Amino acid sequence: MSIQNLNTYDPFADAIKSSEDDVQDGLVHVRIQQRNGRKTLTTVQGLSSEYDLKKIVRACKKEFACNGTVVEHPEYGEVLQLQGDQRENICQWLTKSGLVKPEQLKVHGF
Amino acid sequence: MDDDMVFDPSLKKKKKKKTGFDIDAALAGEQGESTSVEAPAGTGDVDLPEDDNLDLDNFGKKKKKKKKGVFNMEELESTLPETPPAEEPEQQEDEVIDDLDLDIDFSKTKKKKKKKNIEELVLEDDKGEDQENVEDVSGDLWSGTDRDYTYDELLERVFDIMREKNPSMVSGKKQKFIMRPPQVVRIGTKKTSFANFTEICKTLHRQPKHLLDFLLAELGTSGSVDGNSQLIIKGRFQQKQIENVLRRYIKEYVTCHTCRSPDTILQKDTRLFFLQCETCGSRCSVASIKSGFQAVTGKRAAIRAKTA
Repeated sequence: MSIQNLNTYDPFADAIKSSEDDVQDGLVHVRIQQRNGRKTLTTVQGLSSEYDLKKIVRACKKEFACNGTVVEHPEYGEVLQLQGDQRENICQWLTKSGLVKPEQLKVHGF
Repeated sequence: MDDDMVFDPSLKKKKKKKTGFDIDAALAGEQGESTSVEAPAGTGDVDLPEDDNLDLDNFGKKKKKKKKGVFNMEELESTLPETPPAEEPEQQEDEVIDDLDLDIDFSKTKKKKKKKNIEELVLEDDKGEDQENVEDVSGDLWSGTDRDYTYDELLERVFDIMREKNPSMVSGKKQKFIMRPPQVVRIGTKKTSFANFTEICKTLHRQPKHLLDFLLAELGTSGSVDGNSQLIIKGRFQQKQIENVLRRYIKEYVTCHTCRSPDTILQKDTRLFFLQCETCGSRCSVASIKSGFQAVTGKRAAIRAKTA
């Protein structure tokens, strides 16, 4: 038996949770683009502007041993570009680092 | 038909299985259901034949899905003897089966794993059957005679019963949505031809333009339909890659999100696309096709020349 009134109640439980959610809202689109020859380009669109994309790209470049950059786009905001097919890598990295939830990731391309 | 309603949840769950492998949830759903459909239990034997041969052919496919079936079967058998066989619902059941058995076979790749369980499952089924046979006198071939039943007969019987009780689980009778694979040929070094593009559009009952938009957006290239009604895509693509994209298209824009039936209509309503299901009547909006951010891959000089 439990008395409801005696339960500890955290009035901020909801608030804390939702604030966490707010950082990354909306889908993150991971795309691949073909370049000349066998070369490809991976773009990551939709990362929250709260994140410091420059830091992310720096970490990614080191982790995946590829080059990359942040591109500013009038409609889509800051977009991450990485050389090569990094779709798997970036998805794993983003979820592992807790920046994006797996259900928010959307991978496009073949 | 209100039986439809009964089966719906499991269908939904099943979808999950394919994509997300939420086996536990699905199991829970199906078990709950199996008990509710229990009544017509052993009666099905009367209408044994129908598609026995077909059945055997389909075994391979069937089993793949049936990993969870192992579990479920036990459940079924255990609950069986308690319920008295009732004759009437049978008819209805059959109809339901027909209704619901439209299933699409995207997950060719994923199914392979489950194949191993076939033997196991079959054996288990048999055991359960034997016991049941003793009490349950029915219209089986061997019922009046002294002879031993053969393995094949038993097998047929098991699947008949399963189909009766749990049509959504046993995919044996399911009408697979079989598509011709896309014929993808490289043209030169830089272009790819998708030869049976219009044919596939026809089988999916979708406007070629819609599929074209989707393909090009997903692949992040450009392309067009040429005179021979084949699609020319810029860039190198293999058949497998195109298949993947097609599969995603079917999942999003062809199959009903509720009952997975491919019998749907795509309508445009105030700039939004809606998917209307002909089988279950559900209607839901689908994502619009957006190509999103496209990085500059060509020569920058050329772009500058164009704009300036």
